[in-house]
Amino acid sequence: MPSTQTPPIAGAAIDPPSLRPPIDDALIERLVPSELAVRLAALKAEGYTMLLDLGAVDYLGRTPRFDVVYHLLQLAPKPASVAEVGKPKRVRILCGVDEGQALPTATGLWKSADWAEREVYDLFGLVFDGHPDLRRIQMPVDWEGHPLRKDYPMRGPARERAPRPAFANKTNVVAGTPPSGRTLEALQEQVKRARAGIAADAEGEST
Amino acid sequence: MPVPDIVSQTGNTMVLSMGPQHPSTHGVLQLVLEIDSENVVKVDPEIGYLHTGIEKSAEGLFWTQAQTVIERMDYLAPSSNALCYALAVEKLLELTDRIPPRAQVVRVLQGELTRIASHCVWLGTHGIDLGAISVFFYCFDLRENILDLQEAAGGARMHPNYIRVGGLNGDLPDGYIADLDALIEKFPGRLRELRALLQANPIFQDRTIDIGVLTPEEALQWNVTGPSLRASGIAYDVRKAFPYTGYDGYDFDIPTRTEGDAYARFLVRLDEMEESMRIVAQARKRLDTPGPVMIDDPKVALPPKETIALSMEALIHHFKLISEGFRVPPGDVYHAVESPRGELGYYIVSNGENRPYRIRTRPPSLYNLQALKGIAPGNLIADLVVMIGSLDPVFGEVDR
Repeated sequence: MPSTQTPPIAGAAIDPPSLRPPIDDALIERLVPSELAVRLAALKAEGYTMLLDLGAVDYLGRTPRFDVVYHLLQLAPKPASVAEVGKPKRVRILCGVDEGQALPTATGLWKSADWAEREVYDLFGLVFDGHPDLRRIQMPVDWEGHPLRKDYPMRGPARERAPRPAFANKTNVVAGTPPSGRTLEALQEQVKRARAGIAADAEGEST
Repeated sequence: MPVPDIVSQTGNTMVLSMGPQHPSTHGVLQLVLEIDSENVVKVDPEIGYLHTGIEKSAEGLFWTQAQTVIERMDYLAPSSNALCYALAVEKLLELTDRIPPRAQVVRVLQGELTRIASHCVWLGTHGIDLGAISVFFYCFDLRENILDLQEAAGGARMHPNYIRVGGLNGDLPDGYIADLDALIEKFPGRLRELRALLQANPIFQDRTIDIGVLTPEEALQWNVTGPSLRASGIAYDVRKAFPYTGYDGYDFDIPTRTEGDAYARFLVRLDEMEESMRIVAQARKRLDTPGPVMIDDPKVALPPKETIALSMEALIHHFKLISEGFRVPPGDVYHAVESPRGELGYYIVSNGENRPYRIRTRPPSLYNLQALKGIAPGNLIADLVVMIGSLDPVFGEVDR
């Protein structure tokens, strides 16, 4: 169930990448989790030496629910040369994964996958099998929930659980003992006296 | 984080926490260090102290509004963020070929000015880390000139929000060109002074040469981009590799070094500032041709202010765009630009609504900073400060 604070999700476009107009930004491959490890290793052997980015998207209501998105970059054939890099290529791998399903880690192929996978774990709750140190990275260690999921409330769970008190219950003067030690009644008494004084003054002037 | 054991398994090393309030960690970075006397055995950077959920907030905002939070990621180079976001959304809208040429020139100009301003902050703070205080003042003076230009163009010093989807917020104001000419004239002398203060300075060289060496293989493993990658001998620059907003029409070089140490990164960034100024000078020449700076498409662009009082249709368009935003066709796109720190990319998913479904950032600072785990072990704690400085992380972007 999407959070009440999350904008509505259009039912027709639950999988935008499949409706995608042809945009020439990367080669696109869609894989299932079982093919992933082999394909990533093969791509690395082909010369995709950089794991440019690793992120995830939550398509709530779809099966599988999440897409983990890899962007790989292939530099020129001789990447260590100072000479101008030829025409590099990007490839995007979309891997559908459901809740509770684990993906193989890419840390064995690229060290940079370490923090990226930790971030996906932290913000989406997806687990990477074989990751050496899978713990939260952006949120505090004792945080509950995974904020980038679509069913996670935009303004935080605390506000979702405890709605704002009704306006009628509020008063302008804070209830209880003010910092000066005087009670609310004493304050109101003081205000009353002051008002009476002003009224008396006004009467005195008019006469 | 859980409290680490003070004494490690072997008994020879201890664990020390550096930051997150340490002045030379350039923001809120905590390093959990395992040290053997003064030598670093292992480093585990703890990030997330500045996590503000920008990607989550953007999902609740219109496409135009989202840009205001996007710009706050890399707060030293706001125009790079804005440019990348605008280009990505324009790709989804299929407007890329229809952006007016003058808007593209000004975008290049903003992108390069913001790069110089960002490198000024990096150089100044890097100098302060190593005890060279005066560099800081020279750098911030130069940066102030650029921020004045940003303010004149967009109305704000730090987050001008000047580059918009479809073009620019407005044309450059009167007097802008004269100020820009003055900056172009002033810059070479100022950069010579900065070089004179640091480049041949024996203390600076002692502190940076052979410190934090990043081999090309390691750089690729750690996904390092930008000046840090080019200092390791790999000439990958998004402006050349995947030219955008007309960068293929400018004449500039990509400075590279092969040493891969902190000094090489310093030299590459200084050279890069010079190259950026070359691009700025070329863009300045193209500014003499007037023209529109916003796409002529009422579905995306706000109508000109003058027409609103006169035309009913303009008023309706204005009202609809402000109160509902525009819709972007469903699809996903990855677009990257060369920000001062490296490849800044946005993977944007739209589900056809007036709000982005998901904006995933590829933050260059995050990946560059992660390389610290690879280059720090074996060095002194004092050199750690040099390494952080030379990788130039910005924590608004690391933590988002």
